[in-house]
Amino acid sequence: MTLAPPKSPAESAAATKLINRLREIVGEDGLLYRTEELLVYECDGYTVEKKVPDVVVFPTSTDQVVAIVKLCNELDVPFIPRGAGTSLAGGTLPIGGGVMITLTRMKQIIEVNLRDRYAVCEPGLVNLHLTNHLKETGYHYAPDPSSQGACTIGGNVATNSGGPHTLKYGVTVNHVLGVEAVMPDGSIAQFGGPCEDSHGYDLTGLFVGSEGTFGICTKVWVRLTRNPESYRTLLGVFETVAAATQAISAIIGAGIVPAALEMMDQGIIGALEAAFHFGFPLDAGAVLLIEVDGLEVAVEDEAVRIEDLCLQHGAREVRRARSAKERLLLWKCRKQAFGAIGRLSPSYCTQDGVVPRTKLPEILEFITDCGKRHGLRIVNVFHAGDGNIHPILLFDERDAEQVQRVLLASDEILTKCLDLGGSVTGEHGIGVEKISFMNKLFAPADLAVMKQLRDVFNPDNRCSPGKMLPTAGGCGTESHPHKSHPGRRAAL
Amino acid sequence: MPNSDSAFHPSTQDELAQFVATNAASERRPLISIGGGTSAPKCSAENGIEVCLDQLNRVIDFPARDMTITVEAGVRIADLTQILKAENQRLPIDIPQANQATLGGVIASNWSGPRRYGCGTMRDYVIGISAIDATGRQFKAGGRVVKNVAGYDLCKLLVGSHGTLAIITQVTLKLRPCLETSSLVWMAFDSLKQIDAAIARVLNGATRPIAIEVLNPIATRAVRPLAAAASLPILCVGFEGATKETQWQAETLINECCPFEPRSVETLSGSDADPLWAALTDFPIKNSSRTFKVNRLPSQTIELMQRATDLGISAKGHAGNGIIWGHYPSGSSSTFLLEGTSEPRLWEELGSSGDWMRRVKQQLDPQNLLKPGCLPIG
Ligand SMILES: Cc1cc2nc3c(=O)[nH]c(=O)nc-3n(C[C@H](O)[C@H](O)[C@H](O)COP(=O)(O)OP(=O)(O)OC[C@H]3O[C@@H](n4cnc5c(N)ncnc54)[C@H](O)[C@@H]3O)c2cc1C
Ligand SMILES: Cc1cc2nc3c(=O)[nH]c(=O)nc-3n(C[C@H](O)[C@H](O)[C@H](O)COP(=O)(O)OP(=O)(O)OC[C@H]3O[C@@H](n4cnc5c(N)ncnc54)[C@H](O)[C@@H]3O)c2cc1C
Repeated sequence: MTLAPPKSPAESAAATKLINRLREIVGEDGLLYRTEELLVYECDGYTVEKKVPDVVVFPTSTDQVVAIVKLCNELDVPFIPRGAGTSLAGGTLPIGGGVMITLTRMKQIIEVNLRDRYAVCEPGLVNLHLTNHLKETGYHYAPDPSSQGACTIGGNVATNSGGPHTLKYGVTVNHVLGVEAVMPDGSIAQFGGPCEDSHGYDLTGLFVGSEGTFGICTKVWVRLTRNPESYRTLLGVFETVAAATQAISAIIGAGIVPAALEMMDQGIIGALEAAFHFGFPLDAGAVLLIEVDGLEVAVEDEAVRIEDLCLQHGAREVRRARSAKERLLLWKCRKQAFGAIGRLSPSYCTQDGVVPRTKLPEILEFITDCGKRHGLRIVNVFHAGDGNIHPILLFDERDAEQVQRVLLASDEILTKCLDLGGSVTGEHGIGVEKISFMNKLFAPADLAVMKQLRDVFNPDNRCSPGKMLPTAGGCGTESHPHKSHPGRRAAL
Repeated sequence: MPNSDSAFHPSTQDELAQFVATNAASERRPLISIGGGTSAPKCSAENGIEVCLDQLNRVIDFPARDMTITVEAGVRIADLTQILKAENQRLPIDIPQANQATLGGVIASNWSGPRRYGCGTMRDYVIGISAIDATGRQFKAGGRVVKNVAGYDLCKLLVGSHGTLAIITQVTLKLRPCLETSSLVWMAFDSLKQIDAAIARVLNGATRPIAIEVLNPIATRAVRPLAAAASLPILCVGFEGATKETQWQAETLINECCPFEPRSVETLSGSDADPLWAALTDFPIKNSSRTFKVNRLPSQTIELMQRATDLGISAKGHAGNGIIWGHYPSGSSSTFLLEGTSEPRLWEELGSSGDWMRRVKQQLDPQNLLKPGCLPIG
């Protein structure tokens, strides 16, 4: 828990003015500013760094967002958009304080057009609520982050979220046709829209994944996807992680693109079994959750081929979900895997590295060694088909020394991903957590071009400062995380 | 150094970067990127230099089991296709004149064809990109893994940028496996209206097409002059997958379309379908007269095609996507017969986003050296 430092009289006067002016825009019930109320907003799913905003506002319309942003410009205070706060990268950390614009009250589904395969929704809509809304239509919204029961479409757009089924269907950007945004200067822009191939640069594609640094998304046009006719959901049980990764390579190598291909290691299986009593084999080294979907005439053959490939590569057995209910239970286990971790440890930190699929055995071995070296327990549940690992480092955040080991081990794992030709984030984003890796991933020229683009949209860097791009020079600036974040300072 | 005064064929990316840097610091001549040169130049800048990427055609890395490939941007599409095919993989984008067209050109023009309904477009496949800006600075974005959200997605920005922001030099693609077979169901109807109704049925039917093409009678004659009922509008639906799967889908589709009374139905499969896929792909370029492309909501495709038909304009639509290609009759004098087919010529015509696009252009190319005077529009 971090309390805001005491304010000087001038700061207090400025804060009061800010709050009074915001109250005029959103009303008293659209506003939080008391210290104890703000604590909820001191961090998101990344708990290592903490900082409270000066005030949290809950706009209910694009016009209110415009007014808030204009006010922030007028008073020269930073502002940052927030959805559900499930970011695992500290994306919503309010560097430099300021106004947190939380979009959860803008959650309408504005339009559903099945004939033209799109829906228009507000940014605060919870991902799963869209798919639930579409239940009887035969369509769904394809990107399905494991956090979909909580995270918002706006947050998904900002982080370009993936999920288990993005192996076949693609990530958020592949399903976003257009966005409306309140730009950092307070103007409203629309990029793209319901029609494909709109003229000019693909600013929709550029906006997606910009982690709140290009503006505040206030409306999204998403592509809807037909539900598959049939599924086959398999659980391949392997003695070792190595054998399971061999099977993955074999499946993909055979030209099969499953809808999803997820791996869970022994550590996570134990936690899941304790939580859900599915009947997972507790002695298995790893299980693969594999789903193929499509037409009934095709899926059975694919499932049989996958079964054969798994058995050829050392699977002890391959089970099948025998009913729709069993399938849903399997997916519930997978998607709530992080939730089950509470049974293993008070805190955890999930990494999001990516390696070329064929390098999975190497990185997983490295993670095991790394855990041993640092005396940390690490469990794995991840999007194996994409090579997107999610090692979960277990720790107790009250123990500063442990926190430090977690940070060191995370650094080593991500560095190894880079050495293997991969990336430090497949779907969670850079946020503040991985900002120091940007210099390793990209050359100065690459970052300079990215900064030029940020300067186009966010020239004063008042919108989500300190995110995504490292600050030039490294230290001495106020937004440098080591200086401004008591959480990290304490940890290091 | 330039091998002629108006065209430069670099043999390495570094050589190109140096050339561009020298130009930016001295003569500041306009630079026109050229891949295969298959698209007619839309704008020709005075005193411009053509930067031809045909010699930048190396394969940098093809880790086939990872289903990605990294190549230089000047690689010809036909060559790329061969390389991928050897590993039973592909880039499922339909491209005319594949012997000549280059990957960089296809990306810069965001070209696509019938399969876009099922397989998407270039933005769905480019996962890493390297380019040279107007000052000769080499930069990259993305990476070589299929899932990656580190940094701003400059891949998306450069897809469809038509050589106005940077010269694309190297690309990493995400690949798909080759499928066993494909088939096309070619159905003639009495009217476009009936086709509209049939499409509505197909979209919610049991099959999962990867292409839904509609041709008006004039287009039909261009695409398949020898087919029966060449004077009728056509609905042509494509499938890909295992043989059993495509057969089942073709049969199911035909049953679903029966109530709309097609005049003739024909199914082409495997190698028999290939020439028709090619003809559908080539349609936009199969005419020397003025070509247009418009985008609408998918449900508005038929209405626009009907108006084109009434005016004697040849038109073909990707009906699942709302993209319509057409050709004005040769010799037609009026500037735009069909309302809404003229291309924007000013940033202001690009809606509320046009101003942001202009600012992006100004920021990345402040001297306005890359295709000056051209909007990023095909
Ligand atoms: C248990 C768990 C499982 C997860 N599983 C996955 C997974 O499978 N795949 C995956 O990709 N992620 C996953 N995540 C990460 C997280 O859920 C995603 O990043 C999600 O998209 C964040 O959405 P949110 O609404 O919570 O956004 P927040 O956490 O509130 O914000 C995330 C970022 O988006 C910005 N932002 C939010 N709303 C807007 C807006 N309207 N306009 C502009 N910027 C905005 C914020 O400033 C911040 O930078 C998981 C997280 C948890 C806790
Ligand atoms: C007769 C005909 C007419 C066509 N008309 C058009 C049209 O009007 N509009 C359209 O978009 N497509 C058009 N095309 C399609 C276009 O040719 C295809 O997209 C083709 O695949 C492009 O490949 P290319 O290598 O020949 O590109 P080119 O024709 O050489 O170039 C296409 C575009 O991309 C740019 N470009 C090429 N290489 C690079 C690079 N490495 N980096 C940055 N920019 C680059 C060029 O400046 C140009 O704007 C036409 C094709 C034909 C045959």
